[in-house]
Amino acid sequence: MNGHLLSETFVELTDTMVADFDVIDFLHVLTSRSVELLDVSAAGLLLADPRGELRVVAASSEAARLLELFQLQSDQGPCLDCFRSGQPVATADLGADERWPRFAAAAGQAGFRAVQALPMRLRDQVIGALNLFRATAGAFDAEAVHVGQALADVATISLLHDRSMRRSDTLNEQLQAALNSRVVIEQAKGKLAERLGIDVSQAFTILRTQARNHNQRLSDLARAFVDGTQAVTGPAGMPRTSRPGTKQPLPVPPRPAP
Amino acid sequence: MALGSPVLAWFRGRLAAPAVRVRDARRLGRVWGLVAEHAAARGGRVSAADACAAVVPGVRVTGAWLSAARDGQAGHLMQVTDEVSRQLAELQLTLGEGPLFDASASGGLALASDLAGLETGSRWPAFAPAACRAGAAAVFAFPLAVGAIRAGVLGLYRDRPGPLSDSQLGDALVFADTATMLLLDAQDGAGAGTGPGEGPGGQPAGLASYRAEIDQATGMLTEQLGVSITDAFVRLRAYAYVNDLQLAEVARDIVARRLRLFPDPDLSPDGGT
Repeated sequence: MNGHLLSETFVELTDTMVADFDVIDFLHVLTSRSVELLDVSAAGLLLADPRGELRVVAASSEAARLLELFQLQSDQGPCLDCFRSGQPVATADLGADERWPRFAAAAGQAGFRAVQALPMRLRDQVIGALNLFRATAGAFDAEAVHVGQALADVATISLLHDRSMRRSDTLNEQLQAALNSRVVIEQAKGKLAERLGIDVSQAFTILRTQARNHNQRLSDLARAFVDGTQAVTGPAGMPRTSRPGTKQPLPVPPRPAP
Repeated sequence: MALGSPVLAWFRGRLAAPAVRVRDARRLGRVWGLVAEHAAARGGRVSAADACAAVVPGVRVTGAWLSAARDGQAGHLMQVTDEVSRQLAELQLTLGEGPLFDASASGGLALASDLAGLETGSRWPAFAPAACRAGAAAVFAFPLAVGAIRAGVLGLYRDRPGPLSDSQLGDALVFADTATMLLLDAQDGAGAGTGPGEGPGGQPAGLASYRAEIDQATGMLTEQLGVSITDAFVRLRAYAYVNDLQLAEVARDIVARRLRLFPDPDLSPDGGT
C-alpha cells in the first residue's frame, strides 16, 4: 500500500466535493483510484435501484464487457451477496468457487480470477457495493480491504453531499438522480459514438474530457448534448461517419480489453 | 384479480419492449394488474391516466396528478384524482416552484414527506405553506423520464406527513415507469402502442435487468434517424415490438453495428439480427 498515493487520492476526492459537485465523475475517479491503490485489475460501483436491482453507476473502465460483468451481478455474484448481507464478500479463486456459476464463467472469460465486494452502508441501510476484480487468484490483502472499505464509505457519503443528511428523503432522491444521470450519460455515449464512428468507451472519454476542460458536470454536458443544445467535439482529425440515412455499413470497432 | 384477456394480452405484448426497468416480476405484475384493472373498470384502453389513478390505492397515498410533456416543452395536466391534487398541480404553475418543477428539471425524484418541516419550507418557501393550506402534508414527485427522455411528471400527495416506505417507493417508481411507457406509446401512432392484440409469442417476459446498451442504442438512433431522443426510444421499442424481438437484443445489435435503422417509418428488418 502506497501511503502517499492514498493521501493524494483522498485530497483529490475531497477536492472534487465542492460546489457543482458531479457525483458520477466523482465515483468514476474513485473507481479508477481504487484500481491503482488496491492493486486490482478493475473496480465498479453498483447502487441499489429502489425498483429492486443493482445497477452500475461507475467503473474504472467503460469497456462494455466489463460493465456487463458488473451488471451481471444484479442476478448473482459476490456483489449481490454483499449487498444482501451488508458484509464484505470475497473469493480468492473464482475457478474453485461454486457459489455463482454464471458469474464465475463470465468473469473467467473476461480474465478475472479473484473478486472482492465491499458494502456501501449508511446507518442500517445498504445502498450498494464497491466491486474489485483481480486477474490473479489469491486472497485480498487485509490492508487493501480496509482501504477499499474506506473508499466505499467515501462513495456513500458523496451521494449525500448535495444536501443535508438528516432528511430521510435525501438518500432516495440522490440515488435516483445518480442512476438517471448514468442513463443520460449512456445515451450521450451512444449519440457521440454514432456521430464520430467510435466505440462507446471512447465516447465516454471524450465527454468526460470536455466536461472537465469546461468545468462542467459530466451529466449536465451529457444531457445538453443529447438535447442538442450543446456540441461535443472529438479530438482533431476524428473521422466523421456517414450521415443518417446513408447505407454504408459502419466498421465494427475492436472491443477494448477490460 | 380478474383481468380481461385483451388487457392481459396488451400487457404481454409490452413485455418484449419494456420501458420499465425492473427485475421483480411480482412487483411489475402487481402494478400492471392494478393499472389494467382500472382501465377495465372504466371500459377504456389502458392509458397513463390509469397509472395515475391506480397509484393512489397502490402505494396508499391520498391523491395523484399527472402532467405530460414532450421534448422539454411545458406539460399539460392529464389527470387529477381529486380536488387537492388539482390545486397542488395548479399551485406549482402559479408559483413557479415545487416538487414537480424540481423533478422535471433534474430528472430526479423530489420527495417531501413533511411539507410543514423547516427544510421543505426553505426549499419551496411559497409552495410548501400553500400546499399545506390546500390540504396536503407530504408531496412526492416522480419524473416520467428515461435519462434525457422526459414524458412528464407524476405527483403524489398525502394528507398526513410521513415518508413512503421502501416498498412503496419501489412500487411508485414502477407506476411512474409504466406511465412513462404509456405516454411515450401514445405520442407516436407508429409506436409500440398502436393497439391491443396478441403479444409476441414465445417471449420470455422481457424483464431483463437494466442494460446500458438500450440507452446507448437510443442515443445512436438519434443520429441514425435524425430525431429527438424521445422519438429514438419510441422507434427502438416499436422495432423490437413489430419484429418480435427483445429490446435488449435489438439494442445490442445496434451498438455492435450489426443493425441500423433508417429515417423512413420502415419497421421491417433492414439489417441482420
